[in-house]
Amino acid sequence: MSGVLLDVQGLSKSFTVRRGFMGGALATVHALNGVSFSIGPGEAFGLVGESGCGKSTAGRAILRLIEADSGTVLFKGESVFAADTGALRRLRRQMQIVFQDPYSSLNPRRTINQTLSEPMRVHGMGSSTEIREAVHAVLGEVGMPSDAAGKYPHEFSGGQRQRIGIARALVLQPELVVADEPVSALDVSIQAQILVLLRNLQQKRNLSFVFISHDLGVVRHFCRSVAVMYLGRIVERGPIPGIFDEPLHPYTRALRNASPVPDPAAKVTMAKLEGEVASALAPPSGCHFHPRCPHATEICRQVYPPWTELGSGRGVACHLYPPEPTGAAPS
Amino acid sequence: MTVAPATRETGALARFGTALRRHKMASLGGGIVVLAALSAIFAPWLSPHDPLEQDVLLRLAGPSADFPLGNDSFGRDILSRILWGGRVSLYVSTASVLIAIVLGGAIGILAGYVGGLFDRIVMAAMDVLLSFPTLVMGLLVVAMLGPTVGNLILAITLTAVAPFARIARAPTLTIKERDFIEAGRALGFSNLRIMIVHILPNVIDEILVMASLWLATAIRTEASLSFIGLGVRPPTATWGGMIREGFENILDQPLLAIFPSIAILVVMFGLNMLGDGLRDTSDPRLRHE
Amino acid sequence: MSDASGRELALDVRGLTTEFRINGRWYPAVRDVSFALKRNETLALVGESGCGKSITALSIMGLVPKANGRVAAGQVLLDGRNLLALSEQQMEKIRGGAIAMIFQEPMTSLNPVLPIGFQVAEALRYHTDLSESEAKARALELLQHVKIPSAARRITDYPHQFSGGMRQRVMIAIALACNPRVILADEPTTALDVTIQAQVLALLAELKAETGLAMIFITHNLGVVASIADRVAVMYAGDIVELAEVGELFRRPTHPYTEALLASIPRVDRDAGDLKPIPGQVPPITAMPAGCRYADRCPLREPRCTQESPPLSPLADSAEHFARCWVRAGTGGSAA
Repeated sequence: MSGVLLDVQGLSKSFTVRRGFMGGALATVHALNGVSFSIGPGEAFGLVGESGCGKSTAGRAILRLIEADSGTVLFKGESVFAADTGALRRLRRQMQIVFQDPYSSLNPRRTINQTLSEPMRVHGMGSSTEIREAVHAVLGEVGMPSDAAGKYPHEFSGGQRQRIGIARALVLQPELVVADEPVSALDVSIQAQILVLLRNLQQKRNLSFVFISHDLGVVRHFCRSVAVMYLGRIVERGPIPGIFDEPLHPYTRALRNASPVPDPAAKVTMAKLEGEVASALAPPSGCHFHPRCPHATEICRQVYPPWTELGSGRGVACHLYPPEPTGAAPS
Repeated sequence: MTVAPATRETGALARFGTALRRHKMASLGGGIVVLAALSAIFAPWLSPHDPLEQDVLLRLAGPSADFPLGNDSFGRDILSRILWGGRVSLYVSTASVLIAIVLGGAIGILAGYVGGLFDRIVMAAMDVLLSFPTLVMGLLVVAMLGPTVGNLILAITLTAVAPFARIARAPTLTIKERDFIEAGRALGFSNLRIMIVHILPNVIDEILVMASLWLATAIRTEASLSFIGLGVRPPTATWGGMIREGFENILDQPLLAIFPSIAILVVMFGLNMLGDGLRDTSDPRLRHE
Repeated sequence: MSDASGRELALDVRGLTTEFRINGRWYPAVRDVSFALKRNETLALVGESGCGKSITALSIMGLVPKANGRVAAGQVLLDGRNLLALSEQQMEKIRGGAIAMIFQEPMTSLNPVLPIGFQVAEALRYHTDLSESEAKARALELLQHVKIPSAARRITDYPHQFSGGMRQRVMIAIALACNPRVILADEPTTALDVTIQAQVLALLAELKAETGLAMIFITHNLGVVASIADRVAVMYAGDIVELAEVGELFRRPTHPYTEALLASIPRVDRDAGDLKPIPGQVPPITAMPAGCRYADRCPLREPRCTQESPPLSPLADSAEHFARCWVRAGTGGSAA
């Protein structure tokens, strides 16, 4: 088993918001609550959930683009949160991010060449000639023509801009990429192109991914394992495809069943989950999912379920699978 | 000489050029401004006479072959004085607006980017400055520090800084939420770099629009202060001073007041047209070129 | 108004062509689109951005922006009346009345400063002669019908107090208010979370079964199509390239684009193996090629494809399955 590249433990983050129109009471949103997982080199790890589950916040907290309230993130054994400015700068070279919206991720006033060469210049990665060559090389890697360097973002389509965004994430030669819904804003046929590109880059450069998405099909295709999030917590974690073929947590099952599949015969099994995603401002007591859960019992309303490790990389936080003191894992 | 802050973005100037070509009013305004600027710069060569040369015999004379616009109460050539007066007006207004842009722009971007308490304190300070009408500020400064060109510039700059800070802060607030700013941070860029290299070029359009409108205000302010005698001291030719003289002699020779007024009117008109045109053609249209 | 099989038609679109003016010239965004929508049928219009699906809906509703757009040809028959020939006044009576539309982003299609009850009742008061109190009562009924919890209490709430899924239900309530015969739903669930989407789709299916209304459902998501459609029209670059009953389409995707699209979608229920992306891009509207518009990207391309644009023809062995392809569906009746 290869070493651990990224180790996240107990990541937590709250935001205070003001409710009401003018002034009004302060309320706390627990965007992240004790999130833990680890990723090896060259591994694609998925973070899935619906809006408000905290997956994007987690991605940004790992990179310290948002300051977490507590928890640790170790990158190759080095603490990201404890790093001083210089160390953080060094770490930043190794951990990069790709954004969802291709129309917001590039500075409209800078040419592609400027956008791609700037990070290398700032980090002193070579002479201008070397940098220029590196820009052309990375453009080729993402399937863009070299003459793209002199153009501005508005001259490109969404899919092309996304490729440029990926190129920018690669110029510093990172080992980990946080991809925040990298294909959600793209057309179906372009999605496939970008997914294939990302897969090729992963293999070529042995990249690890934290792949954030709400689309289970995409995650199943791209990731080796996945964590399902609900209201700031991981409710289930496991390898793909097992976790989708046989989900344990009722929410995972609901999510999978609700994901539309291009097969009319599957229409019938689309179980309808009642109720809204609970508000992050006032999460239900006990297990946050209990109001919508077909299997909810009294203990679910009272106590948040403890995490149970079930072996072979699977884990779940659900009272249906209490941790067995004897070590026998329920299937 | 339009105010064009030194920018590495030839992109910005090129955009404005195309925009101007499309927008008739802006081109007209721009033309007027350029003409005024050129005549001010080349005043020493264009003036038929020395603006300070007096000739008692020609007191309040009307237009003649030698003196196309006539003579003032000291017999000086009005045309030459208008050309030279333009130098003062343009110098004072351009200098003060330039300084205000740099200062106000920096304050606005910094406040917008940093946010929080710092933002609120800074903008409160700007609000204090904003509460002074330009003329009152001019009066205060000149009355306390003396009527030199430098103080005039200071006075106008003080009133112009706050609006420019505002106009730089507003787009900063939206731009800093965009992904490419976060990308910059993820890539290890310093906050300073992000503000100067990434936010500023996206804010410059608004600033430039404001600049041409404020130039008009600055010219008017300078003229007003000269008119009430707190501007540049005579015998230096200034448009405001000439209007004052004309005011004193209005029954004998109304032209004395009319010509410099027309000069101010035309230049302000040009600047406003230019500013309106720039505003109309900036941003969304330019982006879809 | 009925089709060949005698089933009543809710809407009959014939030869619809809508153009836009770009740099002084007119270009078709929707080209010769024809389909018949039967009563109690859900027809999915599926395609990627720029294929013309939304413009088709806007054309039917007479909402094409007049500044740069126009419906250049075709008929849209509702009860024998051609909607395209009606005046704006007459169309206003139809919109929200006989035909209702649901949009993608409920926050912008609902007025943020008016309570939702008011907005539902407004639709009623405009199209029917209910009194104010009657309209209010009916509005409450409708909100309960679309399963807004505690509707009686929430009828005075504002749109921002609802979640995305709830706002979409309000939109549906407004659309249903006047018992329309046709609903045009333009990506109504695209902006919603997956579990909420499932609820809204189920709600639409229930309502359709109850009221017998017909629906045109626009989406880019083939999974959603499979869940909700009875028939499917696949659009590409302004043309309908394939039209078939839903089971038939997924069993036998005939047009190379449909086939390629299905092969490029990752699925949650099975391993996709290697995704096969479609190479190239949709040609820009200002530079559409002569001949088949998909030819550039098509692995089955033949010389004829780049010269002449194929018609939408029935397949040899299925009169109800149409494809616009020289290779796979010659001019009807060719040997399979």
